[in-house]
Amino acid sequence: MLQSLKIKSYLCALLLLATAAGKTVSAQEPSALKIIENVYNRDEGESRIGKIRMTLINNRDNKRIREIQQYVKDYGDMDKIIMFFITPADVRNTSFLSWSYDDESKVDNQWIYLPALKKVKRISSDSKKDYFMGSDFTYDDMGDRHPNADNHKLLRTETMNDEECYVIESIPKERGYMYSKKVTWVIKDKWIELKKTFYDEDGELLKNLTSLEYSLIKGYWFVTHLEMHNVQKNHRTDMQFIELELDAGVDDNLFTERMMSLGL
Amino acid sequence: MKKISQLATKYPWLILSAILIVTVYFTVQMMNNSRLETDLDEYMPQTHPAFMYSDSAEAIFNIKDGILIALENKNGIYNTNTLRKVKELTKALQDMKEIERGDVNSLYEAENIVGTDGALDVTPFYDEVPDTPEALEKLRNNVRSNEIVYGRIVSNDETVTILTAEIEDDVFSIDFYNKLLDTAKDFEDEENAIYIAGKPIVEGTLVFLAPKDMQQMVPIVVLVIIIVLFIALRSIKTTLLTLLGVVLSIIWAFGLMAAVGVPIYSVATILPVMLIAMGVAYAIHLFNHLKIFLTRNPEATRAEALRNMVRVMGRPVVISATTTAVGFMSLLTSEVYPIKYFGLFTAFGVVVALALSLLMLPAALMLMGIPKNMLSTGAKERNHPLAVGLTKWVLSHQKGVVIGSVIVILLSGWGIQKVWINSSFIDKFNKDSDIVLTDQLINEKFGGTTILNVVLNSSDLDAFKQPDILRLADKMQVEVDAELEEVGNTFSLTHFLKRMNQVLHSDSAEYYTIPDSQDLNAQYLLLYEMSGDPDNLWKQVDYDFSRANLTFQLKGDDTKTIKAVLDRIDSYKDDFEELGVTIRYAGSGYKAMVFTQLILDGQIQSLALSLLIIIVILAITYREISVGLIASVPILITTVVSFGVMGFLNVPLSTTTALLASIAMGVGIDYAVHFIERYRDYRKIHTDKTQAAIATMNHTGRAIMFNAIIVISGFLVMLFSVFPPNRELGALISLNMFTSFVGTVTIMLVLINRKKKFKD
Repeated sequence: MLQSLKIKSYLCALLLLATAAGKTVSAQEPSALKIIENVYNRDEGESRIGKIRMTLINNRDNKRIREIQQYVKDYGDMDKIIMFFITPADVRNTSFLSWSYDDESKVDNQWIYLPALKKVKRISSDSKKDYFMGSDFTYDDMGDRHPNADNHKLLRTETMNDEECYVIESIPKERGYMYSKKVTWVIKDKWIELKKTFYDEDGELLKNLTSLEYSLIKGYWFVTHLEMHNVQKNHRTDMQFIELELDAGVDDNLFTERMMSLGL
Repeated sequence: MKKISQLATKYPWLILSAILIVTVYFTVQMMNNSRLETDLDEYMPQTHPAFMYSDSAEAIFNIKDGILIALENKNGIYNTNTLRKVKELTKALQDMKEIERGDVNSLYEAENIVGTDGALDVTPFYDEVPDTPEALEKLRNNVRSNEIVYGRIVSNDETVTILTAEIEDDVFSIDFYNKLLDTAKDFEDEENAIYIAGKPIVEGTLVFLAPKDMQQMVPIVVLVIIIVLFIALRSIKTTLLTLLGVVLSIIWAFGLMAAVGVPIYSVATILPVMLIAMGVAYAIHLFNHLKIFLTRNPEATRAEALRNMVRVMGRPVVISATTTAVGFMSLLTSEVYPIKYFGLFTAFGVVVALALSLLMLPAALMLMGIPKNMLSTGAKERNHPLAVGLTKWVLSHQKGVVIGSVIVILLSGWGIQKVWINSSFIDKFNKDSDIVLTDQLINEKFGGTTILNVVLNSSDLDAFKQPDILRLADKMQVEVDAELEEVGNTFSLTHFLKRMNQVLHSDSAEYYTIPDSQDLNAQYLLLYEMSGDPDNLWKQVDYDFSRANLTFQLKGDDTKTIKAVLDRIDSYKDDFEELGVTIRYAGSGYKAMVFTQLILDGQIQSLALSLLIIIVILAITYREISVGLIASVPILITTVVSFGVMGFLNVPLSTTTALLASIAMGVGIDYAVHFIERYRDYRKIHTDKTQAAIATMNHTGRAIMFNAIIVISGFLVMLFSVFPPNRELGALISLNMFTSFVGTVTIMLVLINRKKKFKD
């Protein structure tokens, strides 16, 4: 009896907390566009080195694990990324190089190197909507989409996982984009996306993105562990950044076709 | 029997009101709870290993049946108008709520991977509709050089392009089909024609078409039966009473089905047919006897006459009905639920028909009076010349009758060997129907509308990155495709790998092969996963690369075609086994084939079982094994002749036609039991066997002849059905009634006449 009373009062407290947290939007808050720009422009250092451990889980709970060594450098108006597969063994040293431009009108450059073929090939593709390394993330999902491509609206602020969040709704300006709507929970002052939901062209929930771990590394906020769940296919991608080093001073010569073929 | 015979004459109102109440109850049940089962998978035994395997493979590889929409432009599809239609129709299909966006494929949705010297280009074939001659020409060349699209999405003569929409098993409904037709037909104009085909459409319409056609045909059948019944009985009262008995037994059977929540499966459409044949027989026997009794006993009161009718005819009617019911119950041994239910509810219907004829008919006549034409006219009873002539002829040609019967059985036996099983759905439609014509167009221009999934299994992870295994899978597909005309196309992981290999070698055709190294295969697949739609990949291979799904497109869904392909593929079993790979099959075409086989095995088993049960019951009833055996002769001949004629006329054995054997059995028992029963009685009166035979022929022979004529003329109406399986049904039932009648009055008469005496 006593126990159930306790649980009840605990529940009541929780409920009060939840209503208090769901504050309406006040005038002093930054604009929705500004919030999304802050996320887009969040400084993660000029370069980074690290491993990505990607676990792909299908609807039958089968898992595939991929490890990728990654080098990234920010050149102001463009980013350069080179990635080498570590595992599985049969694709080891398959590498991928990309030069992506902030200028929306410029087409990104991408190359692939297949060690068993010993050839570098340039890939041209409508890459923004492509899935990153067979995962549930598109390149857009990983932060490539420019804030100006969508109309943003600040719905409310609320507390989630003890973090003050702005809840922003983003509707694409162009017709026929792969998502009809996105809702993002942005952590105040950290400008990290704590959670994001994606709705498909029919307006149905398609994917949930959750940031599981994030930390301050060398003064930069960085999400080190995140999960994307495609609820329609029940397919999940768990992505972890390990042995991460920011402002690592990556050599410019790394981002070349020659380096791709040298491997790790 | 004596008590029952008094029941109807003493409490006619009570009996009729009780029947009315039950009928109202079952009618309400039928109105509110009847449900037609349209998902064919629901018909299949879920625990059977072949289905379990197929279902699990369908889940792993996301195998779904596809609706095919063909857009034909006789002047070629590479023009702005047609290509715009492809784009807009693709979007219209994606917008339908029954279809998942990602499940629509077309030239507009497909991606093209092209290799040039130093680059790899992954793009849609078109996004903006091409509107210049150069752009159209470029598109044409892109399609021609892509083996994954050319001949699969665009026909080789470039006049037809296909859009596919895969749907879940339970999505199909007539409303959805009509909506789909409306949506698609909107895109037609003078130049562009649209056709819709594919397994879901064929199966879906069939499930609705069979009962719908039955609904249209049965009233006409009933009307014809009313007319012929009236000509035979010359009384409106008895005609309507006979019919009422039949209709009520059908209502009760379907009402009970609805009350206990069993859906109507397509085989249940034979249930009314069965009950018409049996119900008419029971009533005719009773009325026939009533007339004869009144001729012999003109002074008898109404109650006396009716009591005598039930008392004398009750025994053979009960023997006949219970034996028939038990025979149908033997269908409970089938592994297939619709067949079990069919057996169960038909048995129930037969018992209802029995009860109604022994209770409702006398009760109604008690109240309404016996029809005038049955009352004695004072004329002396005499044997009909036809009965006399036929009996004398048969008995004086005993040898001939036996030899003739043996010849008929031998001939039928020869015909039976030609009987073939068919699980085809397409073959059930009229040859000039839209569905068949569309199917033909797609089979002619593309790989085929029937899909066979060949699943290769290995216990090794990454088996389907190994060159040896992939090469053998490729070899098998290429050879089977080349050798068998029925195979129009194949598709699997090997096509992706060959395409990638070619593209990464500057698109040179000599590299359209499986690479030598496992690593290269793995790297191609990774590249495909990164640049194409990975979902396409997971339809061909599982996550561990230990199982692969090879899709074979066939030009027919009949059992012969599928069997021929399976046999050819099985010949690679040993080669695959050496590499540790086993072959299994999956998909709806394969399941339909196994299912049909399963139904037929069950039916043939239960046929044999029910024959045995019938002989035992009759032997016990008459306390003589020889009588049991003699009584089974008409059934045997009817069944054998029925299958024999099917063999000669090339009518395949399907789930419907095989059930006809049970009707042959029901009718055969009825004729035999009544004939033997009467003959035994007359042998007690007449010392001369021939006189006893003539009397039996005049009494029972007339009743069964009327019954045969009435039911045959009713079911011949079904020859005008628009639905081919129902035409076959009508013809075969008529044949069965005829053979049962002839078998009873010839060979069975000869055999029974040879018996010296009967036990009491």
